[in-house]
Amino acid sequence: MIEVRDLRKEYAGHVAVSGSTFEVEPGEVFGVVGPNGAGKTTTLKTVAGLVEPTEGEVRVAGGDPTEAETRRSLGYLPEESPLYEEMTALSYLRFFADLYDVPRGVADERIHDTLDRLELDRRETRTGDMSKGMKRKVAVARSLVNDPDVLVYDEPASGLDPLTTNYVVEFVRELADEGKTVVFSAHNLYHVERVCDRVVIMNEGDIVARGTLEEIRDEHGGVEYTVETTVEVEGATEEGGGYRTTVEDMDGVERVREEARENGGEVVDIRTREPSLEDIFLDVAEAT
Amino acid sequence: MRPRKVLRIARWEVSRSAGGLDRRSLAYALVALLLVAGVAPFAVDGGLYDSLYVVGVDEESGYHDAVERSETLRAVEPSEEAFSSGRLDVLVTDGVRAADTGKGRAAVSELRDAVRAYNADLLDGYDTAYPVSVDLRYVDRGTAVSADDASESVSGGSSGGDGTEGGTDGGTDVEASGEEDGFSFPSGGLDGVLGQGGRAGTPGGITPPFPFSSLVLAFAFLVPLNFVIQAYSTSIMNERIDRRGVLTLASPVSRYEIVAGKTVPYFAIALGTVAVVAVAVSGGVASVVAVAPVAFVFLALTFVGSMFARSYKELTFVTVFVSVSVTSYVFVPAVFTDVDPIAAISPLSIVVRDLQGATAPVSWYLFSGAPLVFSSAVLFSLGAGVYREEDMFTQRPVRLKALDALVSWLHRRASVAKVSVLLIPFVFVAQLLVVAVVFALPVGISVPLLLVVAAVVEETAKSMAVYAGFVSSVFERTTPNAVVLGALSGVGFFVGEKAAHLAQVVGLDRLEVGRAALGIASDASPLVLAVLLVAPLVLHTVTTCIASVGASYGKREFGVGLSAAVAVHVAYNLAVVSLVA
Repeated sequence: MIEVRDLRKEYAGHVAVSGSTFEVEPGEVFGVVGPNGAGKTTTLKTVAGLVEPTEGEVRVAGGDPTEAETRRSLGYLPEESPLYEEMTALSYLRFFADLYDVPRGVADERIHDTLDRLELDRRETRTGDMSKGMKRKVAVARSLVNDPDVLVYDEPASGLDPLTTNYVVEFVRELADEGKTVVFSAHNLYHVERVCDRVVIMNEGDIVARGTLEEIRDEHGGVEYTVETTVEVEGATEEGGGYRTTVEDMDGVERVREEARENGGEVVDIRTREPSLEDIFLDVAEAT
Repeated sequence: MRPRKVLRIARWEVSRSAGGLDRRSLAYALVALLLVAGVAPFAVDGGLYDSLYVVGVDEESGYHDAVERSETLRAVEPSEEAFSSGRLDVLVTDGVRAADTGKGRAAVSELRDAVRAYNADLLDGYDTAYPVSVDLRYVDRGTAVSADDASESVSGGSSGGDGTEGGTDGGTDVEASGEEDGFSFPSGGLDGVLGQGGRAGTPGGITPPFPFSSLVLAFAFLVPLNFVIQAYSTSIMNERIDRRGVLTLASPVSRYEIVAGKTVPYFAIALGTVAVVAVAVSGGVASVVAVAPVAFVFLALTFVGSMFARSYKELTFVTVFVSVSVTSYVFVPAVFTDVDPIAAISPLSIVVRDLQGATAPVSWYLFSGAPLVFSSAVLFSLGAGVYREEDMFTQRPVRLKALDALVSWLHRRASVAKVSVLLIPFVFVAQLLVVAVVFALPVGISVPLLLVVAAVVEETAKSMAVYAGFVSSVFERTTPNAVVLGALSGVGFFVGEKAAHLAQVVGLDRLEVGRAALGIASDASPLVLAVLLVAPLVLHTVTTCIASVGASYGKREFGVGLSAAVAVHVAYNLAVVSLVA
């Protein structure tokens, strides 16, 4: 559905993205994560057809997204919610539906349906008089007025309160379940873990890791073991009356067990823990 | 560009803007309408002149009828007390006395014109009745009236005859001298008075006669345009503030459709307002057609300025700049309508002629309108070049944004030739503007000044695209590349320049500065003309190469190269002027 090949984008001599290549399959939720200035937003803007690549190629649904007609199958949600504040939510959404040549009847039905799902009742309110969360919901609804196959969401939960954030993230997952292809970026890696099927980690314009979350975990860290003992061993921290030691493999677990026995104690608990995307991200970022 | 999309955006722009119109904007619009609707008809009816000067003159006086017939004079009972207290500008008793003020002197001048007009009418009737030839001359009676010394007076007139007594039958010429003409006026004496502090009088009385009323009315066409650009600039700026325009850019419409859609309503409003003004001041379709390019250039400059401005503060500067520069460009030449070919530069001259009941030739529409229309089209194209996500939301300096806009036209080396052609209308308009500004100066000053300015304008226009290409890394910074780019740009400019030489159509070549600015040399020998045809090609190519080579090294070197190119160009211009002269 989306093909990005050797994408390079420079702004006034500054390289924002240098040679990214990835593909997104239909119905997939694809995460783009990385620190500030990593090139995430530029990558998403390029996919949305807002920015022309300096080099390389981007194809969305077989077309060039910088061509107006290709953008007909795209729904873009920028990091902010830049609405025309003198317009009501309804008139704003109708205007965009009009730009996408959606018949008025279909548009109204679709708009009301989406706003119902997003639980936004104040449809005749000027968007300038809305809260940030409400504006975000209007922006999300705008990205859906044309019933696009591809959604490009840049930090969809940016700046929202936890409740609204959770709502928006769940909504993205629902959209994916309905068959839409979603490219998704977020600072909060927990959200990415919740909704993304595959992920690329970007740093300083480069893709430094890619794959499913499992693949990335395998490649960057794998499983960790936390061994709780009744006596202190090397590298242990005292917690809740016991001692906890984190090791990376079963050999480490055996070493802790042996040392505890030698010190007159024993192992009372062994827990496994998979590294979070955040752990992997920090690990990758430090490495690069 | 798809008209349906453009109209859709235009419709949205209207509804959106209407929704966001605040009370202050409405108040401004109302004031503008009242200004136009109230002042203009008043002016067209001669209201500007009505009873401007108060003349104390007895009904029995020979001056009375002349004063009564004048639109600018108002006859009242003569009174020494009223004259002393300043309520009368002129007192006619046993002589003519003027108040010792500028207005008093102007009133005397106007009285003199009124008397002359009255005499002419009387003699005209006489001429009709009898087959005679009338030659009316005014001679100095040797008696001066002094406005400074109001006690001195001019006699003759109060008890004069009807001005026809000197006529004889049988084809004898009639000489109406001041001695014999009851309404004669000692022009020499009054001229002496008026000459003391420079000429005074109403603008309509200045020689050559300036079409004052029509000019004022023509100016009324420009007033509403200033309000339209305020709304338009705000609309464009709103797209850029808080990145509001990004979602429109992400929708399936091109940026050109967006720009066109946002502009169409304001152009329509501008034309509508112009039409209303035309009706109010008894103008015709000619006025509306003539002002349309002015409205277009108002919007085009505002659009580019709004795209480059980084804040509302800068936007204010932009709109003031647009207002002042365009108004100056169209208004100053129009002052000389019917007086000088320089007026053909301005579409407002067509309006002035229309309001005078005269018809302007089609060539005037082309000559005054075409450069503005082409310049506007180029400006819109330039601004649309940066109407994209990566430019319109940044805070880059205006200089860099302008370069970005130029870069949007550059795709390969040959593009610089295209840019040079596109910039020809600007060069043309800039040179016409300079012509309009300096043509009143002595030729010894205006021509050299013009030659220098023309060289600066042309060299800058030719080399900017090359410089922009180097700055943005579109072109490789090598000397051979710079030479090729310079040559391409020079050739492009030469072609465009030759195509734009429409000046001869309207007779601007009759002006010394016109010839200097536009390279018109119709009276030169064929050999000289042949040389002059090829020489500009060599000039443009060489000078642009010089500037381009400088540009390939950096900003400072570009400045040096451009200066050298200008110097060569000025030397060439001086040589050509010497050769043709």
